[in-house]
Amino acid sequence: MRNVDVVIVGASLAAAAAAKRLVDAGLETVILERKELPRHKICSGILSPRGHRFLLENFGPLPPETLHEPTACRGVTFHFPSMVSMPMDFFHGTTPHLHRKYSDHWAIQRSGAEVHDQTSFAGLEDRADHVLVHARQNGAPIEYRARQVIGADGPSSLVVRAVYPDYTKQIPWFFVGQKFHEIIDCPLSPDYFHFWFHPGLGHYTWSHARDGRQIVGVGFKRGDNFAKKHQVVEQYLRDKHGVQLKPADDDHEGCAENFGPSLINRYVFGKGNVLVTGQAAGFLNMIGEGMSCALHSGAISGEAIVEAQRRNRPVQEIYRKMIASEVRRCSDQWNPLKIAFERPHEADFPEALMKLSWRERGLVLRDMWRFIVLFKEFKWGRQIASAALQRPLVGGYSMQRWL
Amino acid sequence: MNIPPVEPGTVGPCPVAPDALQGIKRQQTNPARWNGAGWQAFVADLRTAGVELAESRAACGAYATDAGGTAYGQPHGVAIARSAGEVAALLRTAQAHRVPVTVRGGGLTTEGESVAYGGVLLDMTGMSRVLAIDATALTVRVEAGIYWHSLAEELRREKLDYLSAPLNLTSSVGGTLGVGGIDVNSARLGCSADQALSLQVVTPTGEIVECSDTENVELFQRVILGYGQFGVITEATLRVRPYTPLSMHYYYYSSLRTAIEDLQMLDRNDASDYSGILTIMDCAVNLLVAFDSDEREAAFRRDWEARLRGHGEFGFALCMLGHYALRPWKAGEALYLLKRKQAVFPEFRRPEYMRDNKMHDRSVVFSRAVWKHWGSRNMVIPDLATPADKFVAAVERGNAVCRKFFAHYTLYCVGIKLRPEHRPHYEMSCVPPDAEGWAYGCEFEPMIEGEVYSRDHFQAFKNAIYDIGVDLGASYYRFGGMMKGYIRRTFGDELVDKHLAMKRRADPAMILNRDVIF
Repeated sequence: MRNVDVVIVGASLAAAAAAKRLVDAGLETVILERKELPRHKICSGILSPRGHRFLLENFGPLPPETLHEPTACRGVTFHFPSMVSMPMDFFHGTTPHLHRKYSDHWAIQRSGAEVHDQTSFAGLEDRADHVLVHARQNGAPIEYRARQVIGADGPSSLVVRAVYPDYTKQIPWFFVGQKFHEIIDCPLSPDYFHFWFHPGLGHYTWSHARDGRQIVGVGFKRGDNFAKKHQVVEQYLRDKHGVQLKPADDDHEGCAENFGPSLINRYVFGKGNVLVTGQAAGFLNMIGEGMSCALHSGAISGEAIVEAQRRNRPVQEIYRKMIASEVRRCSDQWNPLKIAFERPHEADFPEALMKLSWRERGLVLRDMWRFIVLFKEFKWGRQIASAALQRPLVGGYSMQRWL
Repeated sequence: MNIPPVEPGTVGPCPVAPDALQGIKRQQTNPARWNGAGWQAFVADLRTAGVELAESRAACGAYATDAGGTAYGQPHGVAIARSAGEVAALLRTAQAHRVPVTVRGGGLTTEGESVAYGGVLLDMTGMSRVLAIDATALTVRVEAGIYWHSLAEELRREKLDYLSAPLNLTSSVGGTLGVGGIDVNSARLGCSADQALSLQVVTPTGEIVECSDTENVELFQRVILGYGQFGVITEATLRVRPYTPLSMHYYYYSSLRTAIEDLQMLDRNDASDYSGILTIMDCAVNLLVAFDSDEREAAFRRDWEARLRGHGEFGFALCMLGHYALRPWKAGEALYLLKRKQAVFPEFRRPEYMRDNKMHDRSVVFSRAVWKHWGSRNMVIPDLATPADKFVAAVERGNAVCRKFFAHYTLYCVGIKLRPEHRPHYEMSCVPPDAEGWAYGCEFEPMIEGEVYSRDHFQAFKNAIYDIGVDLGASYYRFGGMMKGYIRRTFGDELVDKHLAMKRRADPAMILNRDVIF
């Protein structure tokens, strides 16, 4: 059995950030990854400026192989059924278009932690002063004895399932899928990430350029048909935006998403010596960008372990106190009061709105409302409203709601 | 594939390259941990050279963080400095094996400058003796690892005092000379680094060299305010002065601008021996003025006191009462001010340090107060140093940033008298390049009050303050750690590259304090 300070499950950006903090502090850290590295990862790859800054400050300049073409993104363009489009530049400059297969691997290598790939997490036992982690390496069982475990294994987290077996049944699940098309003619600017507030297309509809092809992506409640949904979007882009695309290539991809916890402040941070971080914990920014909160929350999980050891305090207590700032930042992006009166996002929505004519503003607000109504079935309204009111009253979001 | 057109002969801007991000220069500022290559061979050589090295987890763990409390790192081994010869042997061996050496005095850095991310941590506090006091020439020779308060204690026995030193108990002489050091008398006597007459320095290649304004001048210029890049200070000769207790006066303002203008007026006219501003947020701004002698105090009362626009304690209390009576929704703020006043003010008037209405031992009084009422596990103190004319703007903008990030905070402002003949010392240091006569410094210190914040919250706060510095063309008291991202933006590539070239010549393997500024 291998005896280490910390085991991190998953080899993503959150894991790299946590590993960086732990290794810097001199803790022996092992990262477990199910696949062989570098591994493929489904992602738009559009990082927010805050995530860009984090990567630069902690891992150094990005090597060319970590980027897709176009290498950068200027901002986000919102499209509405009324055919109003709102391009918004990021506040802090252009951001990289990450090739997740290589960027994640690069960050993991730069963190300095030991990586065990082709090792899948199979379960854990929290024994109060240590955690026993069961895994399978190339099919053979292997065990680790760690002081703490960090679950950074994404939305359908096995670590979360090990700690909270019922959790996956408690939240609604979505599916996001993207297909890649050769371009015949595409009037959508390749400098922007395009997002549609259109209830007829799906819960999360986007498109952007990558390596000479156009991505057409669609997100919807799990159970619907990806091919059909995709077809509707493709047709819509052709009819309404004049996007001429060849039929999709074979390499389409999709995954399950736990969209929702950051809207209603229902994060899951783990129990005892097991910390959950990144998207596994529920962090997702408003444009569906999970990388920057993964990096920051991952780093905080690492900091919390170091801090807890130094102060001889329970790690959960420290982690939950430290993560509050990231919760505030992330949930603020979904908070209607914040959106209306402040600038919680990294692109200026209110300013872009003010550039429109009065009529267009009216149409945009109407379309947004109709889009929001699409989410009515999840009954989040009251929870979002109470979180929004809580924010100015107590200066944050209630920790009581976190798992 | 979409490749943007490029004019012949030009290279187009790279959207993910240096200037793609506004705010912070694109640079790795959290250094990667040193990989430990060749450590065993280095340790063997070091032991042969007779240098003691502790490698146990407990020994290394004691140095895991600094006063900032946000950067954590563990060295591979710790060496406690015993003599210049031993430091020289360590640096020679490290240079040969390319092992990074991080030097630590009191460990009062705030950005992880004295935290070792692998390699050797050299703890200078092992060299902490006073070697000689010359009461007639008014100089003292000390080992550089000595704390200022220990030095003060020894000087007091000879009825002497240091000129100016940081207002905390455990910063070391060597560390302070490397970065600056300010006191409430800096507007008159300059920063701590300017009181050094000569130094014994161990260069990064392991030579023991004496330097001063007349001997090895260039090394002296680089080591003073040099952020530990060009050598380890092992001994220092400092100017001292006769000890005097001081009489304090406090004036209260509700406007930062007025208080700063008055502070600068006093400094320009040499109207006081000590002057500084200490605030409770921007609500209660306290200008403190103090004197070494009754004559100076009388002159101040005669010529300058009437020109100050501040109130006495009672008058200010009345003003505040009126202010908050009209703004009942700010009752929380008023309560905090009152609570703070009751906790902090008696600290400066403790009977054991007051005799005949004069304060004895200001270093103890101030340091105690600083640690007791401002200190916490995280010393997050970003700061700005500007020429006199830009100071008000810097403080007002920094104040707005503090308000945005924290519920409660303190600002601490002082003037720093510059020595024109020391201009070469100031190159690429905390002293802003365009400052004439005085530089002004302001520390922005949030009250952590037992809260736990993530490192990113602090970092975002610090960046917001430092961005003001870049915008105004100011400098900072400290550079290092995360500040590394700002040094080129502040001083420009040409100057930084010049110093980098000097550093490379002096330290070929780039082992000494290597991730601090370059």
